[in-house]
Amino acid sequence: MTLPFFFLEFMTGLASAASLFLLAVGLSLIFGALGIVNFAHGSFFVLGAYFLFALTRGDAAGFWHYLLVAVAASVVVGAVVERVFMRRVLNRAEHYQILLTYALLLIIEDVCKICFGADYKSIGMPRGFEMPVFVLGIPFPSYYLGLVGLAAAAALLLWLFLHRTRYGRLVRAVTQDREMLEALGVNVPLLFTVIFAAGIGLAGFGGAVSLPLQSISTGVAVDAVISAFIVVVVGGLGSIWGTLLGAILIGEIQAFGALVLPEFSIAFTYVLMAAVLLFRPWGLLGRPPAVRT
Amino acid sequence: MRAKLAVAAVVLAVLPWLLHDYGLQIAIQALVLAGFAMAFNLLFRNTGLLSFGHAACFGAAGYTTTLLVSKLAWNFAATLPLALVASALVALVIGFFSVRLSKIYFTMLTLAFAQMLWAVSHKWYGFTGGDNGITGVLPPGVLGNPKGLYYASLVSLALVSAIIHMVRRSPAGYTLRAVRDNPARAEAIGISAFEYMVGAFVLSGTLSGLAGFLQVAWQHSAFPDLFYWTTSAEVIIAVILGGSAEFFGPVVGAVVLVVLEAVVRSHTQYWPLALGLVLLAMVLFFPRGVISLFQRQRRAEVPRAAA
Repeated sequence: MTLPFFFLEFMTGLASAASLFLLAVGLSLIFGALGIVNFAHGSFFVLGAYFLFALTRGDAAGFWHYLLVAVAASVVVGAVVERVFMRRVLNRAEHYQILLTYALLLIIEDVCKICFGADYKSIGMPRGFEMPVFVLGIPFPSYYLGLVGLAAAAALLLWLFLHRTRYGRLVRAVTQDREMLEALGVNVPLLFTVIFAAGIGLAGFGGAVSLPLQSISTGVAVDAVISAFIVVVVGGLGSIWGTLLGAILIGEIQAFGALVLPEFSIAFTYVLMAAVLLFRPWGLLGRPPAVRT
Repeated sequence: MRAKLAVAAVVLAVLPWLLHDYGLQIAIQALVLAGFAMAFNLLFRNTGLLSFGHAACFGAAGYTTTLLVSKLAWNFAATLPLALVASALVALVIGFFSVRLSKIYFTMLTLAFAQMLWAVSHKWYGFTGGDNGITGVLPPGVLGNPKGLYYASLVSLALVSAIIHMVRRSPAGYTLRAVRDNPARAEAIGISAFEYMVGAFVLSGTLSGLAGFLQVAWQHSAFPDLFYWTTSAEVIIAVILGGSAEFFGPVVGAVVLVVLEAVVRSHTQYWPLALGLVLLAMVLFFPRGVISLFQRQRRAEVPRAAA
């Protein structure tokens, strides 16, 4: 393996890590605050991609401004789903939450099939990224770098929001002690709607910006949600930097594993997930649960 | 209850003679899924553990049988003991590592184990045929005949139900529920919660293997789908749709699921949409399952998450 080749493979892994991060971070946020494991999360990722494809009609020229519309649509869908369905199962046993989100997965899958067709959708490189860059003399899609930049910016903004704003502090507080927050007069149901909508918006954003990288069909959702679970479990449920680390690890394992041991690279990501659950159930960068009395 | 069981037994015994070939295929599928769902609910109802890894035990038996038949030319029926051993071993490994974890972490770890088997079977073309699967494994004799396979599945379901009934009423069954309801107290009186939960996981997984064996006898093939997480999701759906709190709830759920699928698919290709809507309605309006719709109203609390 020569150095330029190694470097390009690393950058490809990083691009898929960027996509994985945007997919998984909302899942992590929602689990941290609402305690719901969202099996439909991959479906919202796919939905964001479909929104963008439908708006641009597959033409990359309108990519950037329609991206904003697609994300806004995802946020609205998230808010509606939280208001109509999620809040009814918040205090119910875990298996009802799983069943409800699985029902949403099934419904979104078929609604997408009805609205957009079952074939694979893809889109060209967006404006500003049509030309490849030359890395050590080898052409490389410049959009991969753009995607990494977008994911990094999203991570940074999210961190700033959670740790440097008043509302972000409420989001972190609700993951710790919901009752206390309610007692202090915070509108927790509204907070949950905002968090869920934001998480779904991030998934939709991730799906939309990943469209030039990977073509999308309705069947992608069931694989995507499991990838998101791996990333979030490895990094730590509820931790942003953990999700980022998990995404980079999984992205690189898939990129290099496909070269070294193509037969077992996917299996290895599950081995990593199991190992983390066994030795650090709260994830590599998550915080161990406080002992409650 | 006894009278109802006797009626059900008579109906099920004469059913193959009343159905067309297609109806018989549907009935076999329903019985196989019913056995799988009963096996799953042995764990879920008695320990409260929600496994997302039962596809591993189901598929382990299925792949053991198809591999022995296709690679070593074993007699199909003779593979059953080894298939069950394979399921038991897989269940032992998964259970041993997973039952210590609580709630969502348990679910995620069982999911990871089953997905490992899926990933290997999906990619290891040299051994498992990869995503092409192993096809053309026809069981000879009784299992190869639709009526024979129907009765084999029916007897298996009866056997699984009898075993679960005995376990529930045995001291071990009471111990399991004591561990479920108050693990700290159970430990304090000298019960090893760990051993009992692993034991329940292994038994549940082994009985799931029986369903996996019947599944490949029915479909004459094995594909990585047997291990995929949607297989685990399907059995969970059958159990909860029927009503996990009732002994035969999983059977009702499996029958409803399989029959509904056959009916919907004969009219439209949008079965996932229909199933999604049914599940939504169930979670929101009849959370105790289909079986609760046919019972006189017993006021029971909807199970809630522990605070």
